Amino acid sequence: MFYTVIFRVEDGGDIKYHAQPGENILEIAQKAGVNIDVPCGGNGTCGKCKMRIMSGSVNYNKDNSKLSDEDYDDNWRLACQATVEGDVMLWVPAAASDYISGIVTASLRTPEELKRYNAMVDELFTHDLKRGVEEKGYGIAIDIGTTTNAVTILDLETGTIVSRGTVGNGQIRYGADVINRIIQQGRPGGRERLQHAVLEETLIPLIQKELEAANIDPMTVTRMVIAGNTTMEHLLVKANGDSIRLMPFEPEFLDHEPMKASELRFPVNPDAKVILAPNVGSYVGGDITAGVLSALLWDREEMSLFIDLGTNGELVFGNKDYMLTCACSAGPAFEGGDISCGMRASRGAIDSCVIHKQTLMPLVTTISKGRPAGMCGSGLIDVIAELYKVGAIDAKGKFIREDKRIRDDGYGDKEYVLFYADESATGRDIFISESDIDNFIRAKGAIFSATRTMLKSVDMNVQDIDKIIIAGGIGSGIDMENAMLIGMLPKADLSKYSYIGNSALTGACAMLISDDATEKVFDIAHNMTYIELSTEPGYMDEFSAACFIPHTDSKLFE
Amino acid sequence: MAFKRTPQVFNCSMNEVTFGTGAKAVTIGGENVYPLYTFDGPIKNKVAIGVEITDDGFDASVPGIAEFYAGCDSIGAIAKRASEMPGADFVVLTLEGADPNGKNKSVDECAAIAKEVADAIDCPLAVQGCKNIEKDTELFSKVSEVCAGKNILIVSARQEDYKTIAASAVMAYGQKMSAESAVDINLAKQLNVLISQMGIAPENCVQNVGSAAAGYGFEYVASTLDRVVGAALTQNDGMLQMPIVTPVGGESWVVKESTASEADVPEWGNREERGIEMEVSTAAACIIGGSNAVFMRHPEAVKTISNLVNALM
Repeated sequence: MFYTVIFRVEDGGDIKYHAQPGENILEIAQKAGVNIDVPCGGNGTCGKCKMRIMSGSVNYNKDNSKLSDEDYDDNWRLACQATVEGDVMLWVPAAASDYISGIVTASLRTPEELKRYNAMVDELFTHDLKRGVEEKGYGIAIDIGTTTNAVTILDLETGTIVSRGTVGNGQIRYGADVINRIIQQGRPGGRERLQHAVLEETLIPLIQKELEAANIDPMTVTRMVIAGNTTMEHLLVKANGDSIRLMPFEPEFLDHEPMKASELRFPVNPDAKVILAPNVGSYVGGDITAGVLSALLWDREEMSLFIDLGTNGELVFGNKDYMLTCACSAGPAFEGGDISCGMRASRGAIDSCVIHKQTLMPLVTTISKGRPAGMCGSGLIDVIAELYKVGAIDAKGKFIREDKRIRDDGYGDKEYVLFYADESATGRDIFISESDIDNFIRAKGAIFSATRTMLKSVDMNVQDIDKIIIAGGIGSGIDMENAMLIGMLPKADLSKYSYIGNSALTGACAMLISDDATEKVFDIAHNMTYIELSTEPGYMDEFSAACFIPHTDSKLFE
Repeated sequence: MAFKRTPQVFNCSMNEVTFGTGAKAVTIGGENVYPLYTFDGPIKNKVAIGVEITDDGFDASVPGIAEFYAGCDSIGAIAKRASEMPGADFVVLTLEGADPNGKNKSVDECAAIAKEVADAIDCPLAVQGCKNIEKDTELFSKVSEVCAGKNILIVSARQEDYKTIAASAVMAYGQKMSAESAVDINLAKQLNVLISQMGIAPENCVQNVGSAAAGYGFEYVASTLDRVVGAALTQNDGMLQMPIVTPVGGESWVVKESTASEADVPEWGNREERGIEMEVSTAAACIIGGSNAVFMRHPEAVKTISNLVNALM
């Protein structure tokens, strides 16, 4: 018995699929190739897979506060909670697939980024490393992020960037974080699906487009460097990812032998050498080793702390003599997941905010100056820090002030409205609720407690850090003072902080144009000590102490 | 070389909190040595024992308790009798009947009971709620109002309702409050910070950092107590120096050792003796960990703990 499911995609036409009764609508959409952003992995918690029934019906599990009664009565359903019970036509709003286009990320695109990149590369080659590789022609450096992928094409001889582009990772519809992806790759046919999603749906089209744009003959591309976290590298080469998340957390591979482009179906010279940046452990991968190369920790006397902020927060601490590294799961909050009005850093995302002390009126900036559509990571940091500063929330993130902008959602959860429906791009209120703040506090708690636990393991304190280097796409707009105020980053003089953008991509570019640098990254990886926080006895304690604004031990932030 | 003993006396101490009025008012806390470490220095205030009754009176299924309260025909009479129990320092009224999932007694009815109890006794009163956040919030406000001037101890405010309780019980009616957290030093401190940020002075707040019957996860309670007292004294952590109160009776009289009938487990012996032993061992363990007050039910257990306190402090 088969029924017809039609997805009417806004700006995209109809996609038809035949399905059996009881099949999950979200899974069908994914099989049919409808792009849907599912940060929660289909658990019904993010509310991003909302679709509207145009005709027919679905079997629906309504036990879900993410969908309001009004939306339900208006025929909206969460695809992940719906199953087939007959023929149905569903309308898919463009917002559901927004992740495919318009993500703003650090990708060496703006003049500022390019300047920073050039300075970093020049600086790098003053440190006892020589430029130059065997291959001739062009090379491609790729940063595979859990959320965003960035590709850069370089002239191997001169080292100049000839083209670059970014695209959302097509694997997103299999879950926003690495754990969900690993679970997905373990299902029958999963590894093939995930490899297909990152190659055929993501990287290959982007590379083709960039090569065409730069008018480069694909055959002249002879070298590629890929930096991704351990999971992304496993999924790319179709290696079994299960061991990443299961005790004793030993991935299938740390260093991967160089491959040929043809093995990964890249549309370049089939003999081109493909180098994967080496991994250090389950949750510290090639993006970090390449990033550390460009952050120069390995050539400094003073102690540096390197933090790569993303769905997974990775930290490296050390100097030229030793380096420690660990990773913590910050969750998708920094990238707008698990937040009612959260979004990735794309058009309309609120990326900074000030709140008036008396009126609680927000003053914001948005990406691309669009009408406000939601909040991205840096905006969230500001909103929460501001709410705390004006005394609207207490140190647990609960609202303590009364105001017309602070209301009860009817489920006992209070929320603060930044913009009412008529002021927003989505036609809905933009607000932040206590449970959003709670999710964010857990994310920032994870970062800070990981920092403390790692430092403690070498009997050091946050005061012992000389330099703090922030990397990652979401770090770009972060107000460091606000991040310290809420206890996300260690309290330190602002001059100790620096932001280096997409360090993984910079590192990968350096590896592309220098055999020396490539060797150095492998050296760095082999010399890093990996700390597995989940087996570290003091971590949970540190974590619950850090889930407070700024911290249960407020002395740390005085 | 001869062993030279260095007394471990700290430069800081737990806060002192007084509840009740008049000659029988109880003061707890104030010590600057570890619990029971009288060899290091004097312990300022002895551990206080509260005798627990409920809005329904007492647990008549336990012969020793039933006998003790024999002849009491009103809640006031029961409270009076409880206050006269040998070893008792104060009375604890647990308003469990207010629970919406149980008898769902109205706030006014419960407040009237609290008033009757407060008027019947001359020792201090502590009032426990029904554990339902919404009901407790209302209940504590009303009870604080009807007992104005009695300086009662409200047990407990949690993270969800501390604001209302601090505002109504302490600020409006001048009562004392207890901050309750679930066996985690960080959560305990966080709640204390939130309460202090509301402007509640240290002498108005005690803490209940969680409890369990001995053998029922008590190691978590023990380690939390140890760490709270340790941080308060060795690190002078002002946000953990609130005196500690621990409800014991409600934990120890509901576990199977205290409730299983003799017909079901004849090899375990007399039920009442088992219950007393559970209550005594739990209370003693809490006192060793640093509790400054314990809430208990059985006259025999209260006498035993009172003897222990008098012998060791």
